[in-house]
This record gives sequence, C-alpha cells and structure tokens, in this order.
Amino acid sequence: MPVVELSYTRLQKLVGKVSKKQISDSLPFLGLDIESENKDLVRIEYSPNRPDYSTDFGIALGLQGLLGIKTGMVKLNVKKSNKYPISVKSDVSKIRPFVTGIVAKNGKIDDKTIKQLMTMQEDLHFGIGRKRKKSSIGIHDLDKISFPLVYTTTNRNHKFIPLASEQEISISGILENTDVGKDYGSLLGQSSQVPIIFDENQNPVSFPPIINAAVTTVTTKTKNLFVEVTGINKEDAEDMLAVVATILQTAGFSLESVKISGAKNSTPKLEQKKISVSSSLINQILGLNLNTAKIISSLKKSRLDASSKGSNIICTIPPYRFDIFGPMDLVEEVALGYGIQNLEPTLSPSQTVGKTNPISLQLKSLDQTMIGLGFLEALNSSLTSKRVLYDMTNRDSSKIISVLDSKSQEHTILRDSILPGLLENLSRNIHESYPQKMFETGTVFTLDSPISEKINFSGISAHKDANFTEIKSIIQSALKIGFGIQIETKTAANPTFEEGHCASITLNNVPIGTIGKINSKIVENYKIRVPVVGFEISLSESILKNQN
Amino acid sequence: MSQVFHEIEKKIIASLRDNPKQTPESLEKSTHLSPDQIRRGIEWLKLKDLAIVTESQSSVISLGKNGIESFQKGLPERRLLDLLKSGPKKLSDLQKELGFVFGPSIGLARKNNWIEASSDQISIKNFPSELPGEKTLKLIGNEKLSKDKLDPNDLSGLLKRPDFIIEDIIKSKEVSLSDSAKSIELSDTAGEIDVEAKVPEVFVARTHPLKDTINEIREIFVTLGFSEIFGNMTQSSFWNFDALFTPQDHPARELQDTFYLDKINAKKIGTPDQIRKVSESHKKNWRYQWDINEARKMVLRTHTTCVTIKHLAENKPDEARIFSLGRVFRNEKVSYKHLVEFNQIEGVVVGKDASLRNLMGIQREFYKRIGITKIKFWPTFFPYTEPSLQTMVYNEKLGKWIELFGMGIFRPEVTKPLGITKPVLAWGGGIERIAMLKYDLDDVREFYNNNLGWLRSATKCQ
Repeated sequence: MPVVELSYTRLQKLVGKVSKKQISDSLPFLGLDIESENKDLVRIEYSPNRPDYSTDFGIALGLQGLLGIKTGMVKLNVKKSNKYPISVKSDVSKIRPFVTGIVAKNGKIDDKTIKQLMTMQEDLHFGIGRKRKKSSIGIHDLDKISFPLVYTTTNRNHKFIPLASEQEISISGILENTDVGKDYGSLLGQSSQVPIIFDENQNPVSFPPIINAAVTTVTTKTKNLFVEVTGINKEDAEDMLAVVATILQTAGFSLESVKISGAKNSTPKLEQKKISVSSSLINQILGLNLNTAKIISSLKKSRLDASSKGSNIICTIPPYRFDIFGPMDLVEEVALGYGIQNLEPTLSPSQTVGKTNPISLQLKSLDQTMIGLGFLEALNSSLTSKRVLYDMTNRDSSKIISVLDSKSQEHTILRDSILPGLLENLSRNIHESYPQKMFETGTVFTLDSPISEKINFSGISAHKDANFTEIKSIIQSALKIGFGIQIETKTAANPTFEEGHCASITLNNVPIGTIGKINSKIVENYKIRVPVVGFEISLSESILKNQN
Repeated sequence: MSQVFHEIEKKIIASLRDNPKQTPESLEKSTHLSPDQIRRGIEWLKLKDLAIVTESQSSVISLGKNGIESFQKGLPERRLLDLLKSGPKKLSDLQKELGFVFGPSIGLARKNNWIEASSDQISIKNFPSELPGEKTLKLIGNEKLSKDKLDPNDLSGLLKRPDFIIEDIIKSKEVSLSDSAKSIELSDTAGEIDVEAKVPEVFVARTHPLKDTINEIREIFVTLGFSEIFGNMTQSSFWNFDALFTPQDHPARELQDTFYLDKINAKKIGTPDQIRKVSESHKKNWRYQWDINEARKMVLRTHTTCVTIKHLAENKPDEARIFSLGRVFRNEKVSYKHLVEFNQIEGVVVGKDASLRNLMGIQREFYKRIGITKIKFWPTFFPYTEPSLQTMVYNEKLGKWIELFGMGIFRPEVTKPLGITKPVLAWGGGIERIAMLKYDLDDVREFYNNNLGWLRSATKCQ
C-alpha cells in the first residue's frame, strides 16, 4: 500500500477548526493507517483505490466530511476557456492516442505543495496509470508555454532539454541514458516515432509518458499550472485528470478548461455520475435500521451528494471517485459516514452445525500417534530449494516444478518429497542432544494436468544406534494404531538409502512409499554424525478417506 | 549443612578421603562400583562442587613387534656379539646365523666400534657389558609403562628403530575432593536420596507449536458452526485473481508479488459460462481487453479466498458457514516479519440476512475465544469486498494496536458472474501473526526453523 507523509499543522490549516488529536483519531476511520509519527510529521498508508488520499489536500476533504466541518460533494468549478487549445494529430493513434488536460491558475506553490503534488503524480502513475502504461501526467508552468499546443509524434533524433537537465539531448539519448528513459522507454515499443507535445513554436513541452521539457519546470515562483494527461484509454486519462483537478482546486487554484480536438479526442467533461441504491439494501447489509435522512447525512459526510426518491437514495458522485462502481460501494460510503465505531457487533442466531474436514481429523490423529511413538512434529515450507530437495539427496530432478523470479534462493521449487526437508532439519540441529526423532505430514506436488497435490507422511530417526528395524517398527505401529492398516516391506533400491538397507513399503501389494537407512554419503553431505533412518509414504490414495 | 548423598557418592567420597587423588579406574577398584556408576557419581559431585576433576594426558610405552622379539631373543647387536664371543667368525656364517637382523647389527656394531674386520673375518674389539636400550627393553617387557618412568636417553635409541616401541597418548582423569567436601559429614542413613539434585532433561515429543495454534483456530471455527473445505495450493490465475475481480494488469498480479509456476498453464479453468461472465465483468468495469491466457497461468495461491470462491461458485448455497485453512504464498523477501509461505484462515457466511454487524460480531466472538478482548474495527480496502474492514487488536507488550484480520462483503462484481445471489460475508488473516502473539515471538521465521532447542522447550499455550 502506498505511503504519504503529512504535517499535522498543515492538515489543521486545511481542515479548519480541529485539534491534532481529532485528526489522528479520525484518520483510521477514513481507511488510512497511521504507519509512524514523529512530532508534527505523520506517515500514512492509504488504499490504492483512493489516489485522492495521496495528498494532504485530498485527506483534508475527507476529514472535513467525517468531522462534520464541511459535508457534501466537492464540485469542480471549471471556467470555460478558448485560450488553451490542443489539437491532436492522427499519427499518435497507434502509440498513445489520448490526451486531456486542464489549466489551474493563481495558486500558491510552496516547497511542501510541490512535494505533495509530486507524490500524487507518482502514486497516480503507479496505481491507475499502471506504471504510466495506461495513463501518465505532466504538470507544467503555464506561463512558459505558448498555446496552441499540438499532440503529435516525432522521430527519435529530435533534441530538447529535458526536465532536470541543462543540455539538449536527443530522444534516443533520453531513453538510453536517463533513469526514467530506461524505466519507461519500453512502453513506446520499437516504433521510430514517439509521442510529443509541441508548443506554438514547435518547441517540445512534454515527451509523454517519459519526461517534461526543462523549460516548463514548476518552481515556488510558479503561479499558474498546465496539466496534461496522456494515455491509451480515454476514460482512465480523464479519471486521472479528475483527481488532479480536484486536488488543485482544493489547493486553492481556479480551474480553466483546455480545448482539445482531433483524432477522436475531445475536451474533458469531468462529469459527475448518479447511482441509485435502495435504503433497504443499505440497512440489510449494514444490519441497521436507518431512515433516509440519516442515510443521506451519512453519505454527505463521505463527501457525496444524495437525495431520496421514495425509499431509494439517488447519489451524486464526483468524477474523482471512480472507485465507486455500484450500490455496494455506496453502502460502504454510508457505513464510513455513519462511523464504523458506531456499528455495534452482533451475533446472528446460528442453526448451523460445524464440521472439521475428515482429512484434517485423520491427520490430527496420525500426529497424536506419532507423538505417542516419541516423534516431534516438524513443519517445513513446501517451497524449497533444488539443493535441499535434489542435490543433497541424489534424487531425480527431471520433473522439477519451479516458480518464476523468487526473491529467495531457498524458496524456488515445490517439494515432491518431505524427507529431504527433515534431513535438512537434522543438519541444522547437530549441536542438539540425540536421539532426534521427527515427523512431518504435508502436501507434495507432482506434474500432472497440470499439477497434482497429495499428502505425504515422513519420519526420521537419528542416533548412534538407529537402524532399519527401529524405523520399520515405527511406521508399522503408526499405521496399525492410527488406521488399522498392516504394511509390508519389500527389498528395493533407492539412491537416497543405503544399499541392502532399503525397502519399498507396500499396502496390499501396492507400493506406497520407501523406508530405510539413509545413505551414509548423504548423511555426510548434511554433516550429520550419527546414523539416520527414515521413511516416506503417500497418504492420499491409500490411507486418507474423504468422507465428505 | 547436612546433605543427603547417594550411596555411590558416599563410596566415592570415602575412597577419596583415603587416597586423595585417583583416576576413575582406581576408584572402580577401591569402591567396587561399575564404570557407569563412577561416571554418574563424579558428575553429581561435580555439579555440587564437591569433586574436582582434572584432565591430563600421558604417554604410555609398550613394545612393538621387533621390540618384543628383541626382548625375547636379545637385541640384534647383542646376538651378534654373543656369536663372536667364542672367537672371530666368517661374514657369510654370521649372515646365515643372524638372518634378517644381520645388516642392522653389523652396521650398529661397526658404528660403535665394538667389532673389527680383517679380510672376511669379524672379531670383537670392545665388549660393552650393557648395550644402549637393553635396560629399557627389560623394564618394559610385556607391560605398558608410563613414559616418564623410563630413562629418556636409553629410550631415545629404541624410539628411532622400526617397530620397537609403541607410544600411546592416554587421556586420564584425576578426581580429588574439593575443600568443602573434605569437611562433609556422611550420614549413615541408607536409602535416602538427594531430592534436590539436578536431573537429566527429558524431551517430550509433541505437535509443532504452530500446529497447536492452527488446530485451536480450526476448533473455534467448528464450534462457531463452520465446516471446513479443502482446496489446492496451486491454482489458476482465474480462481486466484480473475474470479475475485482483480484486473489482469493489477500490481498484485506481478511477478514480484506472486509466485507463478514456470511454464505451467491450466487447460481447464472453469465452465464456459463462468469464464464468459467473469471476463465480461472485467471488461465492463475495468475497461481493458481481458485475456484468457493470463487467466490460465498457474500460481501458488496468494490467499485461501480462491478455494472459497470456487466452492461457492460450484455449490451456490443460499445459507452456509464454511471455512478454509491452509498455506498461502507471497513472493516477498524473507524477514523477521515476512515469510514466502504462511498459513491463512478464511471463513465465509452466506445468507440473506448476513450483515456487516454480524460479520463484526463473529469476529468479536472469535477473538474472545483466542483470548483477545481489546479489539476495534477500521475501514480498509480489498479489491473483492465492499464494504471492507480490518480488525485492530491491542498488543499489551508493544503498547499499540496491530492489524489482524481483514473482512468484508463480497462485491456483486465478484458474486454475480458466478451465480451467487446471497450476500457473502468473508474474513481472514494470517495464523502466524496470532501464533506469534501466543508464543511471544518477534521473528516469524522461528516457526519454520525446526530448531530443536525451541521445539523441545516452547511452553504449550492454553
């Protein structure tokens, strides 16, 4: 979840008359987790579905509603203007077809505001922008741009001075040599042409979705802003723009429209939508009995507008709340406005009779039997390493099941056997006193169509007198007591075990596993200094019964 | 201070009073106890600071093959000189008589100027009454002797000769009484034992501590009226993500968060109807081109919710209380608070009257049964539930609220395409988190280290 850093004093100024404590008490009830606090600074985790909470301006709007200082929907006041036209050429259609934008005037921009806007930009790029793929934003100093603008394409040799640089670099140079170029260049594919926004004099303003031109850099001296959003999907681009517009208006800017035309593009509408929900659904889902007036006031505390029509609630949703899909989302908004802390938990009378899965019960009984036989239960990961599973134990690794890109070297393949993990456990415990006797039951994986999962059972005994007879009597007794089953052992060879001390375990002449003395070379591999005997059987086919 | 001593201890103390420094072997002889009894007795006395055990090394000398032969027949040079006693002899005759030892004996006798040779006759020049090494050889004989009892000069020549001398390093213990032991009064009361003495530790076999918590949680769900369902750990992306309304380009689906299986895809992922309706819900609400190949990719389940939703889609119950418990996987760096594989519990209630307050009520009851009473609920976000809440529980030790379970009501975008018509309350969370609270652990990896020291000693939680 994304994190944003805020200042309590700044928030207090933005929200109105509230104490620091009121703010910190209320934040969690907006769905914001306080991650850490340090004097005036507070770090907050917010949900990716609420990008408006990436700035203190957006959080202030939410707090005002929850605390009853200002309720109802924030309306965007966009002054219509013809001064800022952007025309779109059809050559962008195949690369990044849509552009939208807005002008924001007469705001005060201090360092903290710039920082907030940059966080918002980054989070929007990551979340709804899907790492700038679906949509991306450029924020510019309006006064450094001469309109009209053209959104078109250019070739990779085109040179300009990019943001945070002092010299001209070609577009290929930007893609090859800058961090943003390397990170996002792949979004442009192999085409020789790339998207560009030119001003009246053919000077680049922005090279979306990679970088802006240096000339339009926003500083604390900037008064007026131009925001452009480009993307591969018109709706996503406008959703993103709606968040930026709402935040800028809240930050004190007045908005003016940008006139967009050409290649299926049009001036953004920033439209509200209406969704209706029945008050009975709200009450049923929340387990409450609220009248329509209370529902409406709750929605207003969540900064939405609502009116009633009979028992239906008609709700008006501002364009930046694109996380609201339908009636259930409104139920949640009512719950938040009503206050989660005011919902009293209840227990509904239950007629159901619970039941443990029969397999769980059988496994639990096997655990108890093994404990009775003096074996300690171990638990190992089912994701393990090739070293433990195959290399150390001489096992056949031809049907290995790997995961892609694991961050941990010790967790790269799915186990097809439990015993190697137990040997690894012994290896880590050579300084502990003997005898060491352990067992584990767990899922093992084999390639099938596509994968079959079975439950295996393995046990191991290590001490100076460990021998075949001991471990055979253990598995024999465990299955006899645990399941009333009589197994046999038949001479077999297996590279994990010592020749002549290894057998296959059969049940009614069907092999279900292997038992024996672990090969002394393997014991040595694990640096264990006492003899080890062990077994592993499959429980799934032959022993566990699913009596659902 | 009067102390109670075991009969063994008494015998050892008594013997050491007569003879203050002894090896365990000599104690065996003096006390008529077995080696094992002596060993135990010395350990007990050591623990009580009554006995002092000093370990030392010493060399023990015995004769090798050639040494024994020389002990029996005389040194080769002695045999040579004896033959020459009666007068000079021919070299070839001597060779016949002395056999193998002819060479070394002539060499030695020449070097020491004992013999002289003229043409092929050998005769005695000087006749030493005792040859170097003879004294030592006699002294050792068939015994084993401590090296420091021998004359080092006389021994040194023998040590250089092959197979004459065997030298063994013997580690030996010497036991003596500490000062406090010297003044102890040994009571004569027979049969009394030292009930205060330390005893060896016995390790019980037991279920794994984490398994205890898992079993306890399973039990609580059953007593709350829930039935357990099982499902696979390997799942198609369709059930793990798509069916739960997670768009195909959602960051959670990326390689760095989710384990995808290498080159393994599911052939059959759902019924044609399920696939069509789920894809339509994605296209309509998330506005992108849904790709069935993406849904076929096999993953290690990132939550047990995939098991639940599949069960609900297959059975479409009007009323149900079910739970699913098992391992889930996240592609994270392993640390004290993150594992790649951990256990999750997840429960759902289906019913026309199911409400958010009920969901909160079940949570409160669940926590009460595992011993947590200080809880509160905060709103949160999950892609597949609306409304969504999280439980915060108060951790007295840390002095702060920590997040435990997540919960919510399945979105209609999830339930409708799968033909589930009644509201579904769902909640779940990691079991290791609860187990860490119970066992007072601050490193979650401990559960899977299988460190016998911990497994054998961790107190069973009630």
